[in-house]
Amino acid sequence: MTETRTLHLQRAMASLVLDADEAALEADPGRAARRHGLSGADQRAFREQGEAMLTYRELARMSLIEPLEEMFPVLKALLESEERWDPCVQAFLDARLIRSGHYRDIAPTFLGWLATTGWGQERWPFLLELAHAEILEVLVARFPEADPPEGLHAEPGPGDLVVLAPATQIVSYSHAVHSVTEDAPVPEVRPTHLIAFRNGDGEARLMELTPATAALLVQAQSRPLGDAATALTIPDLAPVLDLLNDLRRDGAIAGFQTPT
Amino acid sequence: MTQDRFTGVGLGLRRPHLEQVACMDHHGVPFWETCPENVVGDGGRQHRLACAILDRDPVLTHGLTISVGGFDAWDEDYLRDLGDFLIRTGTPWHSEHLCFTSVDANCLHELLPLPFTREAVRHTIKRARDLQSRLPVPLLLENITYYAELGAAEMDEADFITAVLEGAEVGWLLDVNNVYVNALNFGFDPKEWLARMPLDRVVQLHIAGHKKFGGLTVDTHGAEVIDPVIDLMQWTLARLGRPVPVLLERDNHIPDFDILLAERLRLQRAYDAALAAVEVRHD
Repeated sequence: MTETRTLHLQRAMASLVLDADEAALEADPGRAARRHGLSGADQRAFREQGEAMLTYRELARMSLIEPLEEMFPVLKALLESEERWDPCVQAFLDARLIRSGHYRDIAPTFLGWLATTGWGQERWPFLLELAHAEILEVLVARFPEADPPEGLHAEPGPGDLVVLAPATQIVSYSHAVHSVTEDAPVPEVRPTHLIAFRNGDGEARLMELTPATAALLVQAQSRPLGDAATALTIPDLAPVLDLLNDLRRDGAIAGFQTPT
Repeated sequence: MTQDRFTGVGLGLRRPHLEQVACMDHHGVPFWETCPENVVGDGGRQHRLACAILDRDPVLTHGLTISVGGFDAWDEDYLRDLGDFLIRTGTPWHSEHLCFTSVDANCLHELLPLPFTREAVRHTIKRARDLQSRLPVPLLLENITYYAELGAAEMDEADFITAVLEGAEVGWLLDVNNVYVNALNFGFDPKEWLARMPLDRVVQLHIAGHKKFGGLTVDTHGAEVIDPVIDLMQWTLARLGRPVPVLLERDNHIPDFDILLAERLRLQRAYDAALAAVEVRHD
């Protein structure tokens, strides 16, 4: 890529929007242009239009931060209680990870950043689980449309594999993060298993599972149902098959497959 | 470039209205405008409703984040999906903003101004021509609201826009509210500004509300359109002398659909009155 003045000006604008040092930028908006090696005339343009340049900072940051505030209200409440929300958001912006042009991807990108960096998780070991639980239904609700898998049948048998619908997620948390609120954002330590799926109308649904059912749904995707039930010491397969039938009718399971 | 079925005042298709619009056979909206970034690759109930409406009704498409004036490589996967989407909707053109939205692969999700320089004109023309060659329909570029000039300018906004539109040989999506807001912020007469512009390139208009924050007026798309902006729309239509489609943008503080329909009707009457006056003048 040729290094041009236009590119340097765009990089200076990105710095002005994303960089942490707000007080320094307010005192001298020209510093963003200076950092990128721009001429005195360009630095002067940044300085002389200081109020308007800082309006861009405010507008762009609002665009980037709003989806986080909307998607993670409990996490925000938790971190704000110790004045850590703004530092968390700034650390995320500093990582420069928002690549997608789809606005809906900002919140999942933030979740990925929390998972990769472990930010705040020494202080709050449940933080990643909390963030994941907050966005789980949205991830499922907006999972890209996909053609249903082919070659499936509707009635499960002991020799079948379970094939989940493309949007379905089975998750296991160490904390009851699905029952926290903004007023009580700290979850109790309790293993929690959930299935999130889209029903026939395309709306997200969330259901708590027993540990055995969650394990069965995971294992029976790669080994026959009967074998998975035996391994999990589930004595009677009949109620399991009833549940699987219900989950298929509800849209969580795409169908059942005879292993090849 | 304008096709006969795209006249009058249309609305942006927004999520809060999808349930209601999907059930209405006779809503009276002549066309919808949709942002492909909000539809392509999405899923679920709202997505299905949006697709059902877009498959049923006339649609124009309007992009947000392709960064025509930026330097990042195109996202080839997205461009392929975008092309498929444009064909599916049957849109006669696709519009993008004359701005940059991403730098070094970081998307800022804001319409940021390009420098008013000869170098930026050359760069943007090259990018717009390249983008046009990858799209299945004609590309339009929209003038944005800007609050500051990016760096030391070598020309004014009008010359910058004209040079890009003519150099890239693309149509113009003229946002009259953006002209009005820029006129307020930079102290010029919007009609004199428009009279300098290549109006023969105008294919579509945008109209919207705005709000004053401190010393600056901001293009919020969050309020009713005020009378001076409606007057500017009518003045522009009279000057054009032809019925280009007008799109009412409402993206914040989105009212109930019935209220939005009433505002659309108010604008439609103003639109019809402006064009009727043109016909009388030509008779």
